[in-house]
Amino acid sequence: MGARTMRTFMQGVAGAALLAGLAGAAMAEGYTIGISNTVQGNGWREEMVCAMKAQALSSGLVDSLNIAHRNTDAAGQLEDIRNLIQAGVDAIVVNPSSADAINSAIAEATAAGIVVVAVDQAVSEASAYNISNDQEEYAYLGASWLFQQMGGEGPVVYMRGAAGAGADNDRDTGFQRALAENPGIRVAQEVFTGWQQDQGKQQMLDILASGIPVAGVWTSGIDNVIVDAFIESDVPLVPIVGADNAGFVGQLASVEGFVGAAVSNPGSIGGAGMTLALRILEGQVPEGQTLYVTPALWENVTEEGRAVIAAAQNPNLDPEWPVSVAIADWTTYSLDEIIACKGPGE
Amino acid sequence: MSGWLRRNGWVAALAFAFAALLVATKIIQPGFGASGLESLARAALPFAFATAAMAVVVIAGGIDLTVAAVMAVAGVTSAVLMRDWGVAGTVPAVIVVLALGAVIGAINGAAIVLSRAPDIVVTLAMMYVWQGMALLILNGPGGTATPWLREVILGGVPIPGLRWLPQAAVVLAFALALVWLPLKRSRPGLSLYAIGSDQTAAFRSGVAIGPTKVLAYAVSGLFAAMGGLTLTLSTGVGEPIPGPYLLAAVAAVVLGGVALTGGVGGILGPIIAVLILRLLRLDLTLLSVDPNVTTIIEGTIMAVVVMIGGLLAIRRKRA
Repeated sequence: MGARTMRTFMQGVAGAALLAGLAGAAMAEGYTIGISNTVQGNGWREEMVCAMKAQALSSGLVDSLNIAHRNTDAAGQLEDIRNLIQAGVDAIVVNPSSADAINSAIAEATAAGIVVVAVDQAVSEASAYNISNDQEEYAYLGASWLFQQMGGEGPVVYMRGAAGAGADNDRDTGFQRALAENPGIRVAQEVFTGWQQDQGKQQMLDILASGIPVAGVWTSGIDNVIVDAFIESDVPLVPIVGADNAGFVGQLASVEGFVGAAVSNPGSIGGAGMTLALRILEGQVPEGQTLYVTPALWENVTEEGRAVIAAAQNPNLDPEWPVSVAIADWTTYSLDEIIACKGPGE
Repeated sequence: MSGWLRRNGWVAALAFAFAALLVATKIIQPGFGASGLESLARAALPFAFATAAMAVVVIAGGIDLTVAAVMAVAGVTSAVLMRDWGVAGTVPAVIVVLALGAVIGAINGAAIVLSRAPDIVVTLAMMYVWQGMALLILNGPGGTATPWLREVILGGVPIPGLRWLPQAAVVLAFALALVWLPLKRSRPGLSLYAIGSDQTAAFRSGVAIGPTKVLAYAVSGLFAAMGGLTLTLSTGVGEPIPGPYLLAAVAAVVLGGVALTGGVGGILGPIIAVLILRLLRLDLTLLSVDPNVTTIIEGTIMAVVVMIGGLLAIRRKRA
């Protein structure tokens, strides 16, 4: 079996690399960790997977990763998790496609003694651990700041993510909470970008071409192209709130007369999830099942805010990657390591 | 027996390939056993129904791009009905969802017959209609699935000696056979093959083209609804965004020996093709192949197998 020989060879290489890396250190535990993710080709998710790989390598505790990373639905993720159970991994770090839909496979995994950590969104299965960005707070924080910039009144364009996605629903809850607190604000247009750059840009171009008044834009993760749409349409910029994607953060620093804010939603949560899984495998079980990473808001209105944005800039990053590539206390890899995107044995 | 083999050579070859792949899986992962078969069967369920739905219309000379969207409509409808009607209303909910699938399919078929536009154009347009409908019913993952119904596709058959046989596989075989076998042997079933093979000839032999086409799409809708139902049963919630079932179904249909030009093939071949494709994914996961390479390997294997099939068909014609 050629594939089998290849695998043995790869494992050999992985083992050798690990031993070389840990020369003098205690014997490696040699964990095998499974990863399951259901969105491929999106900058945020790619950073998340790279953070998982870089953290696994940096920890020195992992000797191989089994990665199921493809575009699929919850049923496909059930299949992926069951395949990882069959592969006999020690832990699974998963970005769940929904809070409830993959519980059955997670329960099967934990029953088989596998540690399951959900990142980005929490799952409702009690035996899993969760470490996630607080999506409701994410939207509330940015929308509140935006409405304040708009003077508490006027039409706002509300650009959501993918219709029906769990994170989009959570963000909507936060956005609606901010909206209820600002009765002078009305939603002029509500669209779903599907978290697709081209789609979001076209929607903004159409809105601007229609000539309806716009006093502010809140957009869910598709942001630098929205600023581009204003500039290309030759329409004066209004306050825009987006995410901490490298391209958008760059615009906050460089575009003349542009007022806006980036709300952090670190894709590096993947690395934190890997750390949590490894800590649990090493016996350091956290007190609660769910840990939250709270979002931060970086605006370019105050001197302080501009300083934070300047510090976060990194020309080496892909413009669609979030700039918050590390999370204090949770990730130990270097910037170069996450950009290299190499896991153990690669 | 030899006659059957000659007529179903492709299906036999697929079955052999599947068996070989099972052995390879056992070699890669010695722990592969009943639980592995069980998760394979459950993973294959929605793909298998989507593929059956596609196969029926392709045999009848059409193509149905609404399959995944209809699955989403059926999935969210079943989740909402099971939530609202409770445990006692589960059986009526299932009946309503299956009927809804057949009606949606019939609407697709009628739209094609009445508009006289190509199947691919009409079903592409209808795909958006049903996608929107699914989001209208449920704008995010929600609803519930009745626990006893979820258990129907869970675990092995509770008969001593048969525990290795996944219930999901039994449900699949039973549901498909219940619809397909009587249909295939009936006059309307023969008409499906007739209009797929040569519409003009079928018309001249007295086959009612329009009603047969509507029938093909209605059966396709029914299978798609079964697929949507299995999605809700396996996840426990309804999801309005269609999964990756459309192109996977086309691939499995072609791999399963159904000619895209219509009139040739059956359901068994495509179902075995689904099992092969799912098992292949398991093997690639077990071997921890780079996920970006995985899809390339899957696609290449499909292309090569279909090419071999094409070459064999040419040789058979020459012989």
